[in-house]
Amino acid sequence: MIAANRTSALVRIFLVAGFAISLCAVPANAQKAGGSITVGLELDIPGFDPLKVGVFDTAALTAASAIFESLTYLDDKGVAQPRLALSWTHSDDFKIWTFKLRPGVKFHDGTPFNAEAAKANFDRQKDPANKCRCAFYISAINNVQAPDELTLVYNLNDPSVNFPATILSYTNQNAAIQSPTAWKTKGEDYNRNPVGTGPFVLKSWTAGDRMVLERNPDYWDKDKIYLDRIIVKPLPDAQSRFASLQSGEADIIWDDEASADNIQRAEKDPKLKVHTYAGSGAAVAAFNTKVAPFDDVRVRQALVMALDRKKLSQALTNGLARPATNPYGDGSWVKCKDDGALPYDVEKAKALIKDYGKPVDFKMLVTATPRGRANGQVLQQFWKQVGANMEIEQVDQATIPPRAFMRQFQLTPWRIVDLADPDMQMYANFHTGSPVALANYSNPELDRLLEHARVTADQDQRNEDYCAISRLINKEAIWYWTFQNTYYAMSSTKVKGLPKMYSGVIDVSRVWLE
Amino acid sequence: MLLFVARKFLYLIPVLIAVSLLTFCIASLLPGDLAYTILGDQATPENVAALRHDMGLDQPIWVRYFGWLGHVLQGDFGRSFRTGQTVLQAVTERLPVSFELMILAEIMCLVIGIPLAIICAARSGGVFDRFMTGAAFGMLSVPTFLSAILLIYLFAVELRWLPATGYVPFGEDPAANLRFMMLPALTLALAEWPGIMRVLRSDMIATLQEDYIALAKAKGLKASRILFVHALKPSSLTLVTITGINIGRLIGGAVIVETIFALPGIGRLLVGAIGTRDLIILQGVVLLVGAGFVLMNFIVDMLYATLDPRIRHGHA
Repeated sequence: MIAANRTSALVRIFLVAGFAISLCAVPANAQKAGGSITVGLELDIPGFDPLKVGVFDTAALTAASAIFESLTYLDDKGVAQPRLALSWTHSDDFKIWTFKLRPGVKFHDGTPFNAEAAKANFDRQKDPANKCRCAFYISAINNVQAPDELTLVYNLNDPSVNFPATILSYTNQNAAIQSPTAWKTKGEDYNRNPVGTGPFVLKSWTAGDRMVLERNPDYWDKDKIYLDRIIVKPLPDAQSRFASLQSGEADIIWDDEASADNIQRAEKDPKLKVHTYAGSGAAVAAFNTKVAPFDDVRVRQALVMALDRKKLSQALTNGLARPATNPYGDGSWVKCKDDGALPYDVEKAKALIKDYGKPVDFKMLVTATPRGRANGQVLQQFWKQVGANMEIEQVDQATIPPRAFMRQFQLTPWRIVDLADPDMQMYANFHTGSPVALANYSNPELDRLLEHARVTADQDQRNEDYCAISRLINKEAIWYWTFQNTYYAMSSTKVKGLPKMYSGVIDVSRVWLE
Repeated sequence: MLLFVARKFLYLIPVLIAVSLLTFCIASLLPGDLAYTILGDQATPENVAALRHDMGLDQPIWVRYFGWLGHVLQGDFGRSFRTGQTVLQAVTERLPVSFELMILAEIMCLVIGIPLAIICAARSGGVFDRFMTGAAFGMLSVPTFLSAILLIYLFAVELRWLPATGYVPFGEDPAANLRFMMLPALTLALAEWPGIMRVLRSDMIATLQEDYIALAKAKGLKASRILFVHALKPSSLTLVTITGINIGRLIGGAVIVETIFALPGIGRLLVGAIGTRDLIILQGVVLLVGAGFVLMNFIVDMLYATLDPRIRHGHA
């Protein structure tokens, strides 16, 4: 009996060991090298020179993630990992961050990547004479120094405890390191002939049709790169983009909740896979608390309580969009037991409006797109139910930021984008005196919490701070949140190894085909 | 004849001026300020004012118009503020795509429309004629964005005969190019053939009443010869006009079709320029397309005169 037991135990150990070995072996074999992938995106890419294009949109970011590299990247847990930087340290007040750079890295044009090159990228964007739209996003960085070949020092205006995970962690207009030699020699043509250090090199680019990226044979981490070629195509129409995926002209496509039908159809199709990333941040709106009727907290609370986010999601996205009750979202490391969200309560909302006593009439800015209008119309119905009259003011997308900055609005839509740390946006959106503190609201307690959270290294303590901030904002109802940020890509099932789509970027540079 | 050509040609000048003026005004009236678009998040009042001044946006519209026209007359259509491409670069890069699309669509249109018109005219009032009348009106009312999607689902997704989207230049691989162009051209043709069919059919019916047709029949000529040789040419005058006008309609249709099929043509360039408020590209492209359309109509006028000498001699 004992012997029998022993035998079976041995067998079991063998089995387990064998299974473990096979587990190790399978992924190694599965990562097949070679092949070409076609990525279908919505937009035409205007170019990659930050001085020209200002901000990279999702299409540009997808291509940029293959051509360029940033100092760090985010792993699956949202923690910064070394890429062009090898390691980093910070000063005690979190205002000076020193990065050791990876040696031996070369740009596609053969020139070396070093601290001088990285600094040149920053200086060019920061230079007021260049009037780069991109400068806005690095306004928190005072200057960058290159004391030696492989050391880069960021001097920040304000403390930032999670700096390597925020502005530097993906190849956007600011963090993508571009070749200074290339932009100097190519001049006007550089915008469409970008040169980076990334795993893929731009081979050809036909405007409006396709961009062909070929594997970089000299890439420093080439063992982790499996594809030979990436083809990026703008497929502007959502229906034909989806049809291209079904018929095989595209291997992976971008999409958003606006075409919920296609996403839901792909979920049922065994030949397709839907990649979803529940990011941090949310689609939000800000009340201007300095103008009537929103100078009264009862009105603001009433409007927020009248929001039926589930119904809104149903009406706009077939129920795909996830309701948001705080500015952080499920993708954030901030987790609140109590975020202070006001309940959906039509009766309470009616009572608050009645209590206010005066008629509630106001205008909301709405983007002049079918989706913007639909959104506005549903909200209009919600608020009508509780006795508030909202008038839709349709404006061009580009008009919203200046109107918001000049506080020429009563209620404006806005967005909190997906970033690895809430500090930058929360501070900008809610601290007294910030240009983006759209609600025109000032509260010493809120300021104190925001200041405390940005200089505290202990994550649990910061979590506490941010939850307290959420409770305060929700109670005062100065902003409200509708949906969390969710990013989508759909691919054929043979596409493997797609990383999390941080900020909505479909980074295919390290995927492989089965 | 030369005088006739010269006179017609002179008419082009006011038309082109009107086109350029309208384009400029419409582009200026688009909602949203270019300075805001360029500056985005940095659109503080001071920055906006400075940029508007740099770009001359603070000047009155007529000053800007004549400034722009002056450059255009010197062949300088300007540069896109986003991509750095010049208008001429962008247009020459994309024109071949739209041009090929139009030609293919027009050919398909005629290939479908002419035989059907002749058959209907030959047996006018018959079952086939009545059926085709219904079908033509049916097709005429199907918008291109719908027929495009239906064609994609049938031929690309279900049958897998043709690609759904994409493009290869003709010079690179003619066969592949035609495969990619097939569905977009067919989409455009489907919307246009009913017009051609209806017009040619009624002209044919009128021609077939003429005495010389009766004579041809009496001589014992074959019906097909009468229809295709004796009746077609005199009936095709309106057809030529319609074909000319069609070119204009096809440019409009190309905007939608190129977007759906992701063809890198002029239509897509226009849509992109509108979306990004790239006014320099927008104005330049509309002016060039407008000029092309006007020129096309001029050629149609000339063709008319060749087909029907009465017009050339001024007593039509």
